[in-house]
Amino acid sequence: MDIDTLYALRSSSGLPSHPAVFLVLLVLTWALHMIAVHVMLGSTALALTGAFSSNANWRRLAGPMLDTAKVAVSLAIVIGVAPLLFVQVIYDPFWYVSNVLSARWAIAFIVILLTAYWAMYHHYFVGKEGGSATSRWSLAVSLALLLVAGFIMHALTSQALRPELWMAWYAPEGHLETAGSGIHEFNLGRYLFFIVLAAPVTGAWLLGCRRYLDRREPRDAPYLDWIAALGNRLMTAGGFAALICYAGWMAALPESAAGFPVSFWSIAANASILLLIVIPALFRSASGGYGPFVTAAGVILVLATVREALRHRILFGTHGYELSTYAVNLDWYSNALFCLTFAGVGGFAIAYSVAIAWEAGKTPGIYTASPRVNRLGGFALAALIVWVAQYFFFGFLVITR
Amino acid sequence: MDNSMEILGLYPTWYQPALGSGWVLGIIAVVHVLASHTSVGAALVSTWLATVAVRRNRPELLEYVRRYGVFLLVFSYVLGSITGPGIWFSATVASPRGLSALIHSYVWWWATEWVFFFIEVIGIYLLVYLAGKVDGRSYLKIAWIFGLASWATMLIIVGILSFMMWPGQERWFTEGGTLNGFFGLYTFAQILSRTCFMLMAAALAGGLIAAYLRDGAFRLEMTRKLAWVGILGAVLGAVFFQWGLTTLPESAQLLMKTRLPGSFVPAMWAILAAIVVYFAALLVRPGALNVPLAAGMMVGLLIFGIWPEERARESMRKPYVAGQFVYSNQIIARDVPALGVKSELPALEARGMLALHPFIPQHLRRIGEGNELEAGHALAIVYCSNCHGLGTTGTRPFGEMFAGNRDAADIERFIKGALVTGNMVNMPRIPLRDDEAHALAQFIASLPLWHSITR
Ligand code: HEM
Repeated sequence: MDIDTLYALRSSSGLPSHPAVFLVLLVLTWALHMIAVHVMLGSTALALTGAFSSNANWRRLAGPMLDTAKVAVSLAIVIGVAPLLFVQVIYDPFWYVSNVLSARWAIAFIVILLTAYWAMYHHYFVGKEGGSATSRWSLAVSLALLLVAGFIMHALTSQALRPELWMAWYAPEGHLETAGSGIHEFNLGRYLFFIVLAAPVTGAWLLGCRRYLDRREPRDAPYLDWIAALGNRLMTAGGFAALICYAGWMAALPESAAGFPVSFWSIAANASILLLIVIPALFRSASGGYGPFVTAAGVILVLATVREALRHRILFGTHGYELSTYAVNLDWYSNALFCLTFAGVGGFAIAYSVAIAWEAGKTPGIYTASPRVNRLGGFALAALIVWVAQYFFFGFLVITR
Repeated sequence: MDNSMEILGLYPTWYQPALGSGWVLGIIAVVHVLASHTSVGAALVSTWLATVAVRRNRPELLEYVRRYGVFLLVFSYVLGSITGPGIWFSATVASPRGLSALIHSYVWWWATEWVFFFIEVIGIYLLVYLAGKVDGRSYLKIAWIFGLASWATMLIIVGILSFMMWPGQERWFTEGGTLNGFFGLYTFAQILSRTCFMLMAAALAGGLIAAYLRDGAFRLEMTRKLAWVGILGAVLGAVFFQWGLTTLPESAQLLMKTRLPGSFVPAMWAILAAIVVYFAALLVRPGALNVPLAAGMMVGLLIFGIWPEERARESMRKPYVAGQFVYSNQIIARDVPALGVKSELPALEARGMLALHPFIPQHLRRIGEGNELEAGHALAIVYCSNCHGLGTTGTRPFGEMFAGNRDAADIERFIKGALVTGNMVNMPRIPLRDDEAHALAQFIASLPLWHSITR
């Protein structure tokens, strides 16, 4: 596809804000999506290992990991909606074509994810605490399907980066192929890279858990130490595995990304992966702590930026697609609506939710909210009520004008 | 006439012969509506129950809210949160430009909905996991934040859906502004009717949980309460739904009358009556409630209730898919001066689809001796396949529409007389050039031949 066509494929409705705003949000929310995906994959894998293990520590870890996995799946999905929105907004020519060309897979993604989620719940309800002999297989199915779902996402992203091949995929030998049944492009190294990162991220998560549980179950030192050791191992070994996959990804980049493996961005990627490997030593985290997870989250953000730089290298560098020329039809109201809702309503409500869950989790018995937590909840509620009021206010204003 | 367009921003087509891509989208949307209406409604009912539980200090009610929450989590949240993006995915492949038009105007509204959605998902976990673990006042706060956030997601999506059907204010076309597209009387009618239907859905789902309760007296009380919620929700919902229809432009009402089968209106009333009878029966004999009955009623009534409603909405906006300017077949058919959007019909009329569509193979750009059938097929894919099966299967298949007509000249006359001129109600205008109309007619006339070659 030539550059004129790529531009023609843009929505003629334009954007309600400058494209850079969406780009930043895309990278940020995608990083959050991946952190949730990594914790989800890692905790599912640990729960699965525990379900099939006879080691007492492993069996014991399986329970909380399954609980983690359940919540992480829903967070991965909910957070995934945001980059899904933003990628359509600024990369619509690429995202839509890629999806249509693999339409059956885009639809299958939904069914696969649903089955994976319910399979996980099946294991949870049928066999808590390490699972029953049969239900643990449904956990295995769940993990496998989650990996397939991730692969579909990966393929859709990869295809979006190959406009020069679209026509060959859509009309092989000049005949329209409208079934949308093919997966046309993938990069195994890249896919494995983003999957393998689950190990260090989950390792960091375990170090955080170790610290959190310390307060509640101080007498359980051997188990807790075991968790910390596992976390450290996952970080270091997983970091090495990621390094290898990254090399595989770079080695298999298409012509259109020439030079990227030795660019500044790629060096930054390598450095940040190395950071993952040395975190255990850096934080001397035998007793756990929250530092490693915060650092790991930072690393994912760097990698998300690098991934975006690669997209820029290909789409701009090779195809000449300039994001900044997207037409803008500024819409003040909705810009303000989002910013205020995000900061005001979202900020208070999420802060309150996290605070109360955190405190209640640490308190044996019934937790009575402190005045500060209570105030936070009051603000959240008030913000919601103000939000609903402004909605109807502007609504009536519009219909009576 | 706009000849400046060298190439149009049309996407490849996904053609699903068995069902039609529209139905795939429709099925996912119905499942989503089922799940999301249940969960928003249930959020409101939970909020109310939690309030009563805390105020009157009734731990058994709290336990009920918790169980209800678990059910919601496993059923509606899983289903709703996956089919929600699922609608985007299926709309992406079934109608990329339609979705794109909505996304590009309403991205910030959708992002705002996402904030509420996030709060809602965290809220349902808190409601389940913190039941009995925090003080009553805090639990109430959690419940109310959850309930309001849940309702707010609906407030947003309703406006976007209203825009999709019909921009709220006519001035949106000339002045722009998402508010003008978002709010119309119809938006408010939908808020009312959907809120009521959500309560009804929640009452149906709540019955399923009540059926599991052990304590006889409490179970009777719950069943009665839910029955009242259900009856009120169903009756008021129907009233507001009818009112909503009257707020639409006349042409939309006309369309609905001509498009929907005669059985549609009676069927709607029958479903409503069945729901009211079900709840009334529960009021009289709450003891009769059991799990299979509750489950059966929930799934059955919701699906039968939602499907016609979604169909009605779909048929009213035809031949457009989005904002009364994007046709079902993805072509932009109307100027929107406020956004700088230009109708593509003049360019298509002048230069032809085969010349202007970026995803047409080179050898089909010009119609000649050897490629007429294949060019006709490409035109059918682009212009028609969004709404018609190209064989004997799928929605409104050509096999039925042309009743086996093999007379190409006859078909061409029809195409030129009715389609190129835009004389078919409900159908987009199909601005074919003469050679294109000829090729399309040839293709339709030789469908059996085509299918035997390509199979
Ligand atoms: C739960 C299972 C999921 C897994 C394992 C998963 C995994 C992944 C992976 C590995 C990628 C990176 C692909 C690449 O860059 O090569 C990715 C990207 C992405 N995922 Fe997910 N994902 C999941 C669910 C979802 C869901 C439910 C959504 C949407 C609601 C979503 C939205 C996205 C988006 C928008 C991208 C980026 C696309 C782009 O930038 O081009 N994911 N996901």
